[in-house]
Amino acid sequence: MNNNQDEAKQQELIQGVGIFLVLAILTIVEYFVGTRAPVAAIMWLLAILKAGLVLWFFMHIKRAFRDEGGH
Amino acid sequence: MSAHSSALSQHSYAYRLKTARIGLWLFILSDAFVFSGLLVSRFYLLGGHRPELDQLVGFIVTSALLVSSFFMNRAEVQISRGNQRGLITNTIVTMVLGIAFLIGVVGVEWRIAPFGPATNVEGAVFFMMTGMHAFHVLTGVIFLAIILRNAIRGVYTAEKHWAVEAAANYWHFVDLVWIFFYPALYLIGTLK
Repeated sequence: MNNNQDEAKQQELIQGVGIFLVLAILTIVEYFVGTRAPVAAIMWLLAILKAGLVLWFFMHIKRAFRDEGGH
Repeated sequence: MSAHSSALSQHSYAYRLKTARIGLWLFILSDAFVFSGLLVSRFYLLGGHRPELDQLVGFIVTSALLVSSFFMNRAEVQISRGNQRGLITNTIVTMVLGIAFLIGVVGVEWRIAPFGPATNVEGAVFFMMTGMHAFHVLTGVIFLAIILRNAIRGVYTAEKHWAVEAAANYWHFVDLVWIFFYPALYLIGTLK
């Protein structure tokens, strides 16, 4: 693995931490809003936001449409 | 390009990886329809009401699954850097958190729920949704156990680790489903 690739993977690890923190904050907000003053629209909005982050950053949905077959 | 070299390229790792990815995403899509059906049936049958469940247990199991997704992501990134030890460690943590989720839902929430699967509509909806999801978590843990065994044997490399990517995507999908099931079961609606 060359230096550029290793740097990209290192960046991916840091990005994973960032995405996890955002997901954790959204989950905490969801819990507090949901157990105190639940508004269905806000609950759905938070869920869609979280799902979008998981799909894009953790599941790498863009890979499915990539022409080259690398990881 | 001759017919022979074309046939070879169709059997190259890159080609197989590309087609396998499409297959996995089609499977995930078809499974998503099953879970969507369950989600729709929850709102059709219960409307604006929600089952009486332990909020703390719900939050803890949700957190366990969320953290497990983080470690699964790390496992995949580590093997893509060629770090075998990182793959093994992060896979073990993911499995432990998956088992913790199962214990929380099946071992705790199912036992303390004030209804059974055949008591009323709430019970039927709750046990069907959580049961189907828990079954997927269980299969995910088994999938990860196979990945772990292969990782210990040194099967995966930075260049070739499709099984790890597939297991990671499956695991994140299970987390994705719970992202919608958690508010639908625990937060949205009022108690009867």
